[in-house]
Amino acid sequence: MNLSLPPAPSLVQLRPRAGTQAYFRWRAVGDKILVTNLEGNWLLLTAPEFAAFVEGHVPEDSELHARLKAGNFLRAHYDVRAAAERIRARKSFLAGGPNLHILVVTLRCNETCVYCHASRANMDQVHTDMTRETAERAIDLVFRSPNPFITIEFQGGEPLVNFDVVKHAIEYAVDQNRAHGKRLQFTMVSNFALLDEAKLEYLLQHRVQLCTSIDGPEKLHNAQRKLPTQDAHQRAVGWIKRINEAYGASGLDPTLYHVEALLTTTRETLPLWKEVVDTYVGLGCKALFLRAIDPFGFADRTRQRLEYPRGEFMQFYRRAVDYMIELNKQGVQILERYASIFLTKVLRGEDPNFLDLRSPSGAGIGALAYNYDGKVFTCDEGRMLHEMGDDTFHLGDVRTSSFRELVGHETVRAMTIASNLDGQPDCVHCTYQPYCGTIPSFNHKSQGSIFGRMRESNVCAVHKGIQDYLFEKLAEADPETLAIFDRWTTVRSRDHFVQPAP
Amino acid sequence: MSDVHELRFSRQLYSGEAVDQAVKAFARFAAFDLEQTEDHWVVRMRPSDPNLARRLRGELGNHALGLTVQRGGAK
Amino acid sequence: MTTSIEGAPAGLVVADEQAAAVHFLVDEELYPLPAIYGAAYVFIDRCYVFLDRPEPARVRVVLTAKSGAAAPEALRALIGEFANELLSCAFRHQIAQDNRVLIETATMQALAGAMGQPSLDDLAKFDFRDQGFDDPLGIAMSWEEKHGRKSPKPESEGAP
Repeated sequence: MNLSLPPAPSLVQLRPRAGTQAYFRWRAVGDKILVTNLEGNWLLLTAPEFAAFVEGHVPEDSELHARLKAGNFLRAHYDVRAAAERIRARKSFLAGGPNLHILVVTLRCNETCVYCHASRANMDQVHTDMTRETAERAIDLVFRSPNPFITIEFQGGEPLVNFDVVKHAIEYAVDQNRAHGKRLQFTMVSNFALLDEAKLEYLLQHRVQLCTSIDGPEKLHNAQRKLPTQDAHQRAVGWIKRINEAYGASGLDPTLYHVEALLTTTRETLPLWKEVVDTYVGLGCKALFLRAIDPFGFADRTRQRLEYPRGEFMQFYRRAVDYMIELNKQGVQILERYASIFLTKVLRGEDPNFLDLRSPSGAGIGALAYNYDGKVFTCDEGRMLHEMGDDTFHLGDVRTSSFRELVGHETVRAMTIASNLDGQPDCVHCTYQPYCGTIPSFNHKSQGSIFGRMRESNVCAVHKGIQDYLFEKLAEADPETLAIFDRWTTVRSRDHFVQPAP
Repeated sequence: MSDVHELRFSRQLYSGEAVDQAVKAFARFAAFDLEQTEDHWVVRMRPSDPNLARRLRGELGNHALGLTVQRGGAK
Repeated sequence: MTTSIEGAPAGLVVADEQAAAVHFLVDEELYPLPAIYGAAYVFIDRCYVFLDRPEPARVRVVLTAKSGAAAPEALRALIGEFANELLSCAFRHQIAQDNRVLIETATMQALAGAMGQPSLDDLAKFDFRDQGFDDPLGIAMSWEEKHGRKSPKPESEGAP
């Protein structure tokens, strides 16, 4: 562990003069000093500029003064209304209510993955299939959400194992939406191994956005995601190509409409950063989400084999994203999802509402997870912990609980408070606080309380590490990189996946 | 006959109702005798199985503490 | 037999290897009682936790391994983890007081927004008799209850 302070020895001699600066936080990033304020404005200052700012002798007619004033960093010129507007924009998700509704239609899965333990069941465990009646009751609750945007995500297990109920849920939801008029979308997370042309036609016809798992190159993927036929990668890749062709044949823009894939980063993945990126680019994916492995769903013994220090993950991340930036400079469109989320907050002052990376987190107030048996949880991680014998995040049941009972549950309240970074040690003084978020279920699993301790948290280490990397890039100010970052924060709506208005 | 084990819960730190409730929760596993002094809730416990004594002491303590915290403290 | 633990302040932390327990004397001026409760609560799933107050403004925390056996390193790790959690809870307690309005506002908006407006069924089920809050200042009392003329006391025996 590195206990040394950031290399800025001259800062020690600073004699701050109170009353000149508005509230700010600071952090050394490379040879610059990053300052952020309450509303998330930021500036990268040189050491002399920072000294002048802190000691309160920035000449009024200087360029630095103008920058500080524009960023709302000066007490004498503090614009309360502008700050309030910025905070309101950043927190626009706050009162929205749950828009993501995860339906775990079965725990059964045809693949055996090395990192998946408690969130799957063998193919003969038919009792872990959701019934039509349970799906209907879950969807009844979904439409009680006040959020005008609703996404129903089919998960498992492997949702194609219980495809009849997926179909029934889609048709029931579309029917119910005639009365509610929500902007309704469906997504399905599948390994595609059980897909066939008839199922695909149904999914395309019903505008279901498809997402799969690709763990990198074929050898690694097949070693981690096991089918008896040893061809999990080939099957997934075959269907990705087939689906993308179908989108193209329908006249949809391939840069916008394509299969999304998710990576699970294990210890074996770390040296293969280039191969992972090349695999995703080769499959026509436009986004790669470089997430560190989480502690849910598998046994402790397995975790020890798959886990790695977060410093090693950050090396992997930096190498992979450096390479992605180089590819972008050569005209390849591939973005890193974490970077895109953080940069949207940093560069655009908006929150893309990624539920694990906002304050407060989306558990219960932004998402709900409905298990195959009708039990409802704050999040999918909470549902996985239930399968491991921990019911901390269980809220109720689709048959007996009202929507208001679920989202007004004391567990949701506790998680909303616990994931508010304004109440969290370390975060409250962290330069990255305006852009960050914490995950109560992760804290609970890894540190024993939903509050967690950020200084010892793997999630915090990764969030800080990624933001350090991004601000280093912003400090370098390479025009091509800045243009790529700007593109990564441009959100283009995928309207085709929205169900036609009733 | 098994030994009597005494637990003394500070009245400044544990809610009396929490201690009572914890004792009730473990009534199947031991005979209990409760007393109240100026400073403590005193619980005397005679476990039905002497081998359970250590575990019972610990679990009873945790239970009383958990309920006290849920009540927001001793008062 | 009790021993001190390497790296921990002498006299404040004592290990009892035979009992698989470690004792920690906490100064309530540094760590307020809600923080001690908070940290203790986090640990009840991994060990037995017992609190005592041997002297004013001090709380003794006893952490006992559930298994009944613990090596010195395990006890050291346990008390180290507890000390970190205690510090975190104490700091959080202070921050929660400082930022109370901010946190409450965000929480209220998030929950009220997520729950949406109550339906007629929700209102029909609402128990208006529920005494959901303490009212030490008598704010919810009617004026007559609070300030009205008191009923005459029954005359005591022997009064003239």
